[in-house]
Order: sequence, then structure tokens, then C-alpha cells
Amino acid sequence: MAQNAGGAVGARLSPQVDSLIRAAQRGDQDAFECLVRAYDQSVLRLAMNLLRSPEDARDVYQEAFLRVYRNLHTFRFDCSFHTWLYRIVTNICLDQLRKRKVRKEEAAVVDTAEGPIDRLESFEEDAAESDPERTMLNRQLKQKIEDALGDLTPRERMVFELRHYQGLRLRMIGEMLGTTEEAAKNCLFRATQKMRNVLGDFL
Amino acid sequence: MNCDSVSKLIPLYYYGELTPEEEDRVEVHLHECAGCAREMDRQRAAAAAFDRRRLEIPPRLLEDCRADLMAAVEGGAPLLNRPEKGPWTLFLEAMHATFGGAIRMRQPVGAVALVAIGFFAARLTSSIPSFQSSSGSNAPLTEDVFSTVRSVQPESSGHVQIAFDETRRRVVSGSMDDENIRRLLLTAAHEDNTAVRVESVDLLKAQSGSLEVRDALLNALAHDSNPGVRLKALEGLKPLAGDPEVRKTLAQVLLSDDNPMVRMQAVDLLVAHRDDSMVGILQNAVQKEDNSAVRLKCEKALKELNASIGIF
Repeated sequence: MAQNAGGAVGARLSPQVDSLIRAAQRGDQDAFECLVRAYDQSVLRLAMNLLRSPEDARDVYQEAFLRVYRNLHTFRFDCSFHTWLYRIVTNICLDQLRKRKVRKEEAAVVDTAEGPIDRLESFEEDAAESDPERTMLNRQLKQKIEDALGDLTPRERMVFELRHYQGLRLRMIGEMLGTTEEAAKNCLFRATQKMRNVLGDFL
Repeated sequence: MNCDSVSKLIPLYYYGELTPEEEDRVEVHLHECAGCAREMDRQRAAAAAFDRRRLEIPPRLLEDCRADLMAAVEGGAPLLNRPEKGPWTLFLEAMHATFGGAIRMRQPVGAVALVAIGFFAARLTSSIPSFQSSSGSNAPLTEDVFSTVRSVQPESSGHVQIAFDETRRRVVSGSMDDENIRRLLLTAAHEDNTAVRVESVDLLKAQSGSLEVRDALLNALAHDSNPGVRLKALEGLKPLAGDPEVRKTLAQVLLSDDNPMVRMQAVDLLVAHRDDSMVGILQNAVQKEDNSAVRLKCEKALKELNASIGIF
């Protein structure tokens, strides 16, 4: 099961994070950089996993941390910094996912002179799979999962991503998305049902 | 607990999101009901399949993101919603930033402070000449002066010698046809700040007809450390894909750039205008290329040229 990566970082570093935040709020650029480095891997991983595009993940990273930089003075320690940061990040990602739904854009596919190419292929390791049948099955399964994810609403996708891949608790996810734990539970249930239905025979 | 209610709880049970009582009830039911136990197995299998979809962050992406961000911050990303500061607060902050080190060193600072007050007063009262664009465009809007004190040296006469660098910030605006604006953009394409380079190259790419702009784009493509800037330069060079100078750089990029997306786009541009020298370049690329997508693209291009893939 996915580990509580982001949450663990936030919890373990809490006293140091607090002092980093206070220093960054006073304009200490080095403290801001340290603060970014404490969280940015999990932010980039979330954006990358959700948007399946290094370029879009990079845009989310930049926009999210610039918003943090510009608005850090409004952070009042009434929630964890992790929650505050993820509210910003999830909002930006949800906007991107909604725009994609409207444009019906396939994020992982880039058009080139020779037709569409899966841009993620260029970043993945070459398949070291020697069994062609297995390679084919893996490809089909991968495609099924992409189809299943495409069927989710942006919010279902976000809840699933935060719970399954980032390992966050539903209570915290509800807090980040401005909703209740119960609503997050329903979202996760719908997401897993839809995905299991699409995967069908592969399971 | 019946099968219907258990099936609704299975995902939450898997993710450990049930209360201990609910968990107990689900476990008792799963122990007794083969159908729901199979459902639980399907949930586990689905989760394992999702795990395999987890993406690793591409190498260098994190470092590039960090560099972009710090460049934007250091380049003066505006701090929005900051309370307005009065001139006195700004003055005290400037004093603190400039002379804080000297104060910590417990040096006699009275003279320094007095000289500084004189210095800043002179700054505040001196008239700042307005920038005139030689082309007469509606150039100047605002300007700021930033001083960095490099050394403070008390002299035996009681005076203080201060060495400082002065940076003047000016804001100009004008259309892309304005020669001055274009010159500034050409300079900006070499700036340390990545965000500035990306923006400049992006704007310049529409002007690739000019020899100067073409050279700036070629320089960015061949030497810029940031793949985002190199990709923008490639876009700008698209209309010039037949130019021999451009093709020379594209070949060099295909064989030596460390970013697969850049190499991929370089192949696209090379094959858009075919010539004989391409076969050797593409064959070399096939030999050297470690990315399967780029290699396939080169192989496909060679096939279309009726050339052999390998070098004999």
C-alpha cells in the first residue's frame, strides 16, 4: 500500500518546518528554499502522476510554489503547512484536469509530424521484458488503467491519487479539498468501483 | 452485515479507512462469504495494478523545477498582498540589510549611519533622468535604483569610504517591431534567469526571419542548459529547417543533447527537409541513441529514405 510520504515529511519536520516558515515569512530566501525542498518532491510526484506530462507537472510546480512565495505571509499556522500547501497544489491540478476534460485532451499523447507519440515513453526505461505476450498484456493493462482514469471526474481522480499514491488519510484529503471526510469516502468508493469495472477481466 | 453493505466497504477496508468496529464486521463476513472474499481479492489485484502505473519523476525534472522557481523568485517574483510599507520602514529595512553585518560586529557605526543618511537623502532628492528610446517608442515607465554596498572603510580623518555597486532597473515597453525591444530580448536570451530566457526565446521565435534572431535561437538550442528554452528555440527554428546552419546545429543536437524530447523534435525538423547528409547523421544517432522512442523515429526516417539502418 502507498506510504504516507507527504504527511510523514510534514509530521516529522514540524518544528523545523515552523521555524522555516517564520524565517521565510520574514523574507529569508534560504529558508524559503529549504521549505520548498522539504515538500517539492511529493508535489511534483502528485502533479506528474495526475497530469502524466513532465511539462504540465513543471508548470504546476512553478505556479504552486510561486503562490506559496507570494502568499506565505497569510499563513497563520491554523492548519498544517502540508494541508495549506496541498490546498494550493490540488486547486491548480484540478483546474488543469477540468480544462483537459473540456478540451478532451489526451495528456500523455503529443502530436508530431509522424502522428501521435506517447510522450511518457521517452521518459520510461526501455521495457526489459523478453516475453512478447507478457509485454502485450502489460500494454493492454496500462491502456485499460488509463481508460479507467479517464472515466473519473477530476475530483474522484484527485481523491484516488491522494489516497492511493500519496497515502494521505481521507480526513486530511477532505480538509485539503474543502469537503468532509464522508464526501471524500464516497468519492474514493465511486473511483475504485469505476476503475474495477473498467479493468474487468484483467483482475 | 449483508453482501451488499460489505461490497460498499471493501475499498475503504483495503485503505484502512474504517472504524475498528466496522473492520471487525467486514472481516467476519469475509471469513464466511466466498463471494465477498473474491471481491476483496479483486480489490487487492486492482490496487497492485494501479501501483505499477506509478510514475517516477524523470531525471533532472526536479532540479530543473527548483532552478526555474529560484530564478523566478530571485528575478523578483512580486510578493502580492504585502501590506504597503511606508518610506521610513523601507529606509530602516535598507539600513538593516546594508549595515546589519557591521552592527553585529560592534563597530562604531554612528559615522557610518550619518553618511548613510546623507547618501540615501541624496538618492531620494536626486532627480532620476528619464530613459528616452532612440526610436521614439513609448518606452520609459518606471525605474528603480538598487545599491549593494561592497565595503565600508573608516578613515583616520573621521570620514568613511563606502564602495557600492549601483544597479538601475528600468521598465520599457514596445512592440516586437521596435529595434530596441528586439535588442533587449536578444540580450535577455542570455540572462542567468531561466524564466527570462524562456520568455525571451518564446517571443523571439516569431521573428526568426532575421539573421540575428536565428543566431540567438541557434545559440540557445546548442548551449542553453534548460531544456524548456531549447524546445522553444526549436519551435522558432521550424520555418528555417532547410537552412544549412540550422541543420548543422540540429545534427549536433540530435547526437549530443541529453534531453529525449529535444532530440525527438530535432529529428522532426531534420526530416522535414531531406538531404543526403541526413542519412549519416541518422545512422549515427541510431547507433548512439539510448531512448527507444527517439531511436524508432530515426529508424523510421531512414526507412523512408530507403537507407540502411546500420553502418557497414
